Amino acid sequence: MVQSTSARKSLRTTLEVPTLRKSYYAQTLDDSKKGKKVAWCSNNIPSEILDAMDITSVFLENYATVIASKRLASGFCAAGETVGFSQDVCGYARMLMGYVLARDKVPEPPYGGLAEPDFLLVNSYSCDSRLGWFAAMSRTLNVPLHVHDAPYQPEGPSHSAADAEYIERELRSLVAFLEEQTGTKFEPDKLRARRAISRQTSDIMYEISQLRKAVPSPMGSADMFTAVWPSMYLAGTSECEEFYNRLLAELKERIDGQIGIVPEEKFRIMWSGIPFWYDMRLINYVEDFGGIVALESFYRTRERRLPPQDDDPIKDMALSSVRQRAFPSTIIASIDDILEAVKEYSIDGVILSYNPSCRMLYVSQTELQKALEDQGIPTLGLECDMADERTYSEGQVKTRLDAFVERLLAKA
Amino acid sequence: MLEQFRQYHLARHQNARVWKEQSGSQVLGTLCCCVPEEIIHAAGILPVRIMGEHEETTEADIHFPTNLCPYCKSCFDQALKERYDYLDGLVIPNVCNMIKAMYGFSKLLLKTPYIRFLEVPQRLSDQGVDYFTKELRRFKESLEDFVGKPILDEALHHSIDVYNESRTLLEKVSELRKKSPPVVSGSEVQEIVLSSMLMPKEEHNRLLAGLLDHIEERDDPPEAGVRLFVSASILDDTDLFALIEECGGMVVADDMPMGSRYFFGQVDSNSEPLRALADRYLNKIACPRKMLPEERLNFATDRMLDADVKGTIIHNMRACDSHLYEYPLLRQQLESQGLPVLFFRGEETETEKEQQRADIEAFIEMLED
Amino acid sequence: MLVCGIDVGAGNVSAVILQDGDVISYCVVTSGEEGATISRKVVDEALRKTPFGFDDVQYLVATGCGRSSVPFAHRQSTEVVCQAKGALYLLPSVKTVINLGTESSRVIRIGENGKVEAFTKNDKCAAGSGLFLETMSTILEIPVELMGNLSLESNGYEEVSSICAVFAESEVISHIHRGVSRDHILVGLHKAVADRILEILGVANVKSDIMATGGVAKNMAIVKELEQRVGLEITVPPEPQIVGALGAALLGQDKVS
Ligand code: SF4
Ligand code: SF4
Repeated sequence: MVQSTSARKSLRTTLEVPTLRKSYYAQTLDDSKKGKKVAWCSNNIPSEILDAMDITSVFLENYATVIASKRLASGFCAAGETVGFSQDVCGYARMLMGYVLARDKVPEPPYGGLAEPDFLLVNSYSCDSRLGWFAAMSRTLNVPLHVHDAPYQPEGPSHSAADAEYIERELRSLVAFLEEQTGTKFEPDKLRARRAISRQTSDIMYEISQLRKAVPSPMGSADMFTAVWPSMYLAGTSECEEFYNRLLAELKERIDGQIGIVPEEKFRIMWSGIPFWYDMRLINYVEDFGGIVALESFYRTRERRLPPQDDDPIKDMALSSVRQRAFPSTIIASIDDILEAVKEYSIDGVILSYNPSCRMLYVSQTELQKALEDQGIPTLGLECDMADERTYSEGQVKTRLDAFVERLLAKA
Repeated sequence: MLEQFRQYHLARHQNARVWKEQSGSQVLGTLCCCVPEEIIHAAGILPVRIMGEHEETTEADIHFPTNLCPYCKSCFDQALKERYDYLDGLVIPNVCNMIKAMYGFSKLLLKTPYIRFLEVPQRLSDQGVDYFTKELRRFKESLEDFVGKPILDEALHHSIDVYNESRTLLEKVSELRKKSPPVVSGSEVQEIVLSSMLMPKEEHNRLLAGLLDHIEERDDPPEAGVRLFVSASILDDTDLFALIEECGGMVVADDMPMGSRYFFGQVDSNSEPLRALADRYLNKIACPRKMLPEERLNFATDRMLDADVKGTIIHNMRACDSHLYEYPLLRQQLESQGLPVLFFRGEETETEKEQQRADIEAFIEMLED
Repeated sequence: MLVCGIDVGAGNVSAVILQDGDVISYCVVTSGEEGATISRKVVDEALRKTPFGFDDVQYLVATGCGRSSVPFAHRQSTEVVCQAKGALYLLPSVKTVINLGTESSRVIRIGENGKVEAFTKNDKCAAGSGLFLETMSTILEIPVELMGNLSLESNGYEEVSSICAVFAESEVISHIHRGVSRDHILVGLHKAVADRILEILGVANVKSDIMATGGVAKNMAIVKELEQRVGLEITVPPEPQIVGALGAALLGQDKVS
């Protein structure tokens, strides 16, 4: 029997997501049957462009979390390992390599499997794993791959004309690749319309982020880890915008009524890093002690979206990306960011997940933890893979959580 | 004469300090082979490649979790232990997650005055070369600010010539290990290559040219061993090569960042210098971070077949994402062409050598059987 | 013609005596003493069951990680080559040898021509090794020899999800404390061990026929689990621990003739 691993949610709007997700995956299979072109994408590939060109996008990292949350990851990972991808390989990638290369060895895939790809799209700047993983798939599936590049901009938005120009040309290369693959012409108007919706959605999300500062917390991470889904995979659609409007309204309602997640909020925790998808109920664990995981490191919208800077939507995208950044890049910026979040969201303690197969986040956790403790903020570091449940020992994790809760309660 | 290269490498910190004192100029550390050292050289600065040690990390463990590229961790550990306290600056390029992270960590934890991030396109394209050219211009300007004087075009042209000469010489000496029987051993070549990343280029060129004049008449040629190829994510010393020789093998060709990738391809000395540099450093180095697998695997395989080797040793640092994904594909491609493979996961520890010895012995016995 | 092969491993030392190509005697003991002493003892012990004495042995080949500590060996050879030779002798159609030793496991792939094509080894992770099983045997208070059968007779299992040996150990202890039955834990454990072995198997591209050798190959629960997961039959010779020594002896015979 498959036990439920998903977190207990408190907001009714969040509960819409599973249905949205399910129909999204059904739609991709349907599209593929109807002959629409299917692109397998890494996160951060601008889906608005694909959408504007009537291409179906399938985001593999998301599918990986779906597999993991059904506790099927170990079967997929083991299959990936038998085709040579070691346990150091990102859990997501290992699962999907198992799916791609050893389909007879993996468990029944969720949602009836993935629509087969016509081509692959990966962005090069987020992490090395994605690039290596997509390149390996392209070779083994014999499907074309396009790499989308952008500067790293370590000091934050660079405001550099050279950077913007490079990004613009890279975006145009992406468009050219898509035109070549689909035989259809890119229409700027369609993208412009989608960009407008994305911008509005993003501003709603900014407001939501602001409201989450309230005490008691109107919405914790147990909800947010799910509620963020439409913004990542339905970006630029009115469906998405409406979803966040409803979510915003619900948050306001809760704040007006002083409705928190727990009856009497005693302490607030922030989750830094990727959660353990195979046991999301862990997020609710502290609720029995009057605690709440009130914020997570990823899904905070830090500022409002910039107004349009250019009539050409591609150029506009390029310009925004050197003037605005979703995430901090260097360790210095990450420390500032987490300390700021702790202050603004009245956080009493931070749980840091150490996901050893995701190097790019893992590398910073020790230093972040140190910086927090130096400021007198209690922390708990948990080292488990985000996907592969074989690295997880529930008993141990809970024992450590108990001690952490005690520490927080003693301080409260 | 060969000993001179080894000695320079071994006493590299001391040598850099002496150079600094005598020249009154600065020393700048670089990581990875996509930093165009010519620009640094033209500014009158000595570029040195940062290397780790097969030594227990202590200081770095306070700041980093465990499962990370041991090479990067070791380099950082060395820096925190103040072995690199003579550095006036560091140039950290956009190559892999770990090295990117090193930029922020260096700024946070090291006292080095000049720390510069170098954007490097991660995809081969025309716009990539244009962009990298501009980035190199920004880099040049920042170095000018740092040393307080302009880098003249003549100086840049001169540096390009010096580096092209160095690459030619290194290519020549590395060809000599391919001869049968070899004129120089794999580990000797590796000592020469490593020292070239540390020594002032002119001096290295002079020494190497002198060596090449007489090397064919040497009275202590290395023993011919089983011919092997080494493909590595990074090797920052000659230990593995020496170990292979002890076990009866001989590395006659390689594909490594601190190996032939360092001297592969020339800079076109007739073009605009920064663009010519951008072109060489982007397009002529076959690195898995930029090349798509098809090209990359064919490149690596061709080099192996060309060197007429009996087997290949692939050595990738633990948790090196750029190479983790390539390995199964490379292995498959090589084996399908009848080239046996031995794989190592590098740890940069003292103890790993004995385990490696056992495997290399078995590999060589298997190849000879 | 009398030749001898000796395998000085991390857990056991074994010797095989070959007369004109036939195994006439062998002996296996647990390591413990210093290499030279114990290896001489094992050879003498093996010879005791034959009419011959030490001086009658014409050629002696040593293998195993302690092979250099055998002063009277005429030649040394690596475990990879000896395991392959031994396995080929026992099963001429063998293509894959899974050698499950005390400290490490390795997979050896043999080509059509009877030569070793590739091998992979796992010595970084203890969780697939004999040593790990020994630790578990102490914790569970079940003798190593009985672990396999007990597990095969079990009617259920408790997952041991941890990948690393240290983790698995504490997980098993917590299972015991929760009162989970020991045979259920054993099944979970064996699955976890099989996982580790499968990881190295993958790279080596398993082909039939497969033979498992080494001390851990005596544990039928692990072998059965592996068979199931690979979907292929695995042969275990009657004395899986002497395959390396046998290979060494065969090599000695090649040298003499
Ligand atoms: S390594 Fe990390 S960032 Fe990269 S794909 Fe895997 S989980 Fe995502
Ligand atoms: S070995 Fe890999 S992870 Fe380490 S520095 Fe090189 S590319 Fe980066």
